[in-house]
Amino acid sequence: MSPRLGGRKLTFDFISFIAVFLLLPLAIFLIFVISPFVQALYYAMTNWTGFSPNMDFVGLDNYVRLFNDSTFKQAMLNNVVLALIVPLITIVIALVFASMITVGGPSHGQVRGLRGSSFYRVISFFPYVIPAIVIAILWSMIYAPTGLLNGALGALGIDTGQFAWLGDANTAMGATIFVIVWSMVGFYMILFIAAIKGIPAETLEAARIDGAGRFRTVTSILLPQMRDNVQTAYIYLGIMALDAFVYMAGLNSTGGPGNSTLVMSQYLFRTAFEKGQFGLATAMGVVLAVLTLLFAALIIGVFRLIGGKDEGGRA
Amino acid sequence: MELKEASISRRNLLRGAATAALLLPFGATLASCAAPGGGGGGGAGTGKVTADNPFGVAANSKVDAVIFNGGYGIDYVETSAKIMEGNKKLGGVSVKVNSSTKIAQELQPRFVGGNPPDLIDNSGANSIGWNTILDQLETLDDVLDSNNLEGTKISDTLFGGVKAPGTFDGKFVALNYVMTVYGIWYSSSLFEENGWTVPTSWQDLKALGEAAKAKGKYLFLWGKEAATYYQTMVVDSAVIQAGDDVRLPLENLDAKAWSHPAIQGILEILYDLIKSGYVKPGGGGTQFTQAQSQWSLDQEALLYPSGSWIENEMKKTTKDGFKMKGIAELPLDANQTTPKGTMRAEAGEPFIVPKKAKNPAGGKELLRTMLSKESATAFAKAKLAPTIVKDTVPADGFGSTALVSQSELLAAAGDNVFTIKSFNLYGMNSDQLPIWNSFLGGGMTVAEITSQLQALTDKVREDSSVKKIEIK
Repeated sequence: MSPRLGGRKLTFDFISFIAVFLLLPLAIFLIFVISPFVQALYYAMTNWTGFSPNMDFVGLDNYVRLFNDSTFKQAMLNNVVLALIVPLITIVIALVFASMITVGGPSHGQVRGLRGSSFYRVISFFPYVIPAIVIAILWSMIYAPTGLLNGALGALGIDTGQFAWLGDANTAMGATIFVIVWSMVGFYMILFIAAIKGIPAETLEAARIDGAGRFRTVTSILLPQMRDNVQTAYIYLGIMALDAFVYMAGLNSTGGPGNSTLVMSQYLFRTAFEKGQFGLATAMGVVLAVLTLLFAALIIGVFRLIGGKDEGGRA
Repeated sequence: MELKEASISRRNLLRGAATAALLLPFGATLASCAAPGGGGGGGAGTGKVTADNPFGVAANSKVDAVIFNGGYGIDYVETSAKIMEGNKKLGGVSVKVNSSTKIAQELQPRFVGGNPPDLIDNSGANSIGWNTILDQLETLDDVLDSNNLEGTKISDTLFGGVKAPGTFDGKFVALNYVMTVYGIWYSSSLFEENGWTVPTSWQDLKALGEAAKAKGKYLFLWGKEAATYYQTMVVDSAVIQAGDDVRLPLENLDAKAWSHPAIQGILEILYDLIKSGYVKPGGGGTQFTQAQSQWSLDQEALLYPSGSWIENEMKKTTKDGFKMKGIAELPLDANQTTPKGTMRAEAGEPFIVPKKAKNPAGGKELLRTMLSKESATAFAKAKLAPTIVKDTVPADGFGSTALVSQSELLAAAGDNVFTIKSFNLYGMNSDQLPIWNSFLGGGMTVAEITSQLQALTDKVREDSSVKKIEIK
């Protein structure tokens, strides 16, 4: 009897097929994806300074220290706030725009968007084309006490007394969230438009004949049929908000007044390269990764619940 | 059929692969202790030690220098590199000068891999923290003990106190090349026009703030990334007032460091100035060079505390006829315990030579070349800043009033100069920034800022993973 594997003859063809299409990619995956992860897990349990080949194993000390560090906890809280608020606002605005551009038009004739919708579509995509760091620097200038925002408000008769939008703990986070939302809305609007275009026009017309208004059309026809897109958008935006390094570094490189806009990735960078505590910084990275996974799991879970009976085979 | 039943199902194969994926690299990692390799060093060999080649640079060897490309650029090292390459007594060496703006990030892998450059200017916001690399550095006493290219012993040609900022745990490992004077800067022409007198202690500031307000100006202003310049001013002033009584507790992270009466008295006055509206509001939302130009170009504020790099930094955005001058930071009142003229002046731009470099002798020889009179004078003329080499600035300061006042301050201080190391040593600046932004914006009382700064100090002291260095 020749050697067999799962009822299959181990011919040269079969083995070379496995080697090229399974073992090779697996090896590459192991070396370049899995092993850095595992190394990070190991470094997170050492007191490595980053500049010498020597390090001691300290077990879970770094994690204990992180969760006793009030600055890190504050940064984590800021990240959580961002991950909850940024996707919500961005998606609501993007959905409203997408609906207006696709089904918000006149209530007679074919179902279509507002007049000039293709123009709005291009305009609202502009911010997404600009690199994030440019956006951040641009807005830090606009928010400056002598910047454009206070100037524009002054022209409208509102005297802000050269208010420092990014320099006050009450407004810094809000101003930052606005910038991130502003830069992201365009892309997700386009994504939602594409999803809406995939819904058969007959469904929309049938709804209209049955007497559904625009709002009812959006909530009862569009949203259920684009749940997957919204879920994906939510997860992507959440991951972006859990990082948010570029926006934060450009808007308030110092962490904002009273650390009100400090995020974990900024604190990680600082700990590694300014304080020379690579072990501790790696532990922060691990926490950030775990938090990101938890976030994605939470969102998928919530959407499963909302999805209810018609979830079917889709994930 | 035994065989059939024992066959591996596809699911089991994948499960096994996944387990292997998790376990294999982990085992390998633990076994090899991950990436850092060590080794290396001593590649270039050594030449013969002579009076003209005091470190024994091998003939035809290569020198690899990485220089921080900041306010001073890298051309001054390139100039010295050319002089060194042309130095016939070395038997021909070639020097490669590379620039970097992120020293820590770029050199981190080279340190770990045991292959660092021969000479590094470890400066800038992204410099390598001292306590992480100290034991990997060559001591540089032999550089100061050698003769410069003109034949004079180098240590005899330098300003006082230049070794202090580069000495850690009693070992002199970093040679700081540029002399930096910390002071309060102002437009002498503006002061003359309005008949204002330059303050001599913190007690004078309130009246000056009043006078500024009458002209629609402020006394001070700040920018968000540079809020801790005010911490520098407060701490330095307190040291001028009370000497080592303030300095040593701060440097060695004492539990009551920030409660010293001199610091408290100065903070109270600063708080009063903020509450009286003499400090321009909104600095916490203003980028720091933008804020500085409100002082140097728009003249919205009278005074700005900074290091002497300020003239070069704001060169292009300074009002014509500004006539910048500097004074040393101010004592709290007339009863200062340190000698008159005491000030914070320290050598900056720390140059280091790693032990594991291929050609450490070459790195030291390049430093010796930079410390020659020819190189140092060229630097002072091009950058309008003195190096640690004395007598390179002529009486007219190459036409710069700020440079002249720096020379005067340094001459008046003599050996009575001090420096504050601990904040940078332990990387505390970025944690202190938000606190100072709040305080300068009027959002914090003296008691609050004291307890928050003390809490940061305590955190570093209590953190057993941070290596402490006793500062004397």
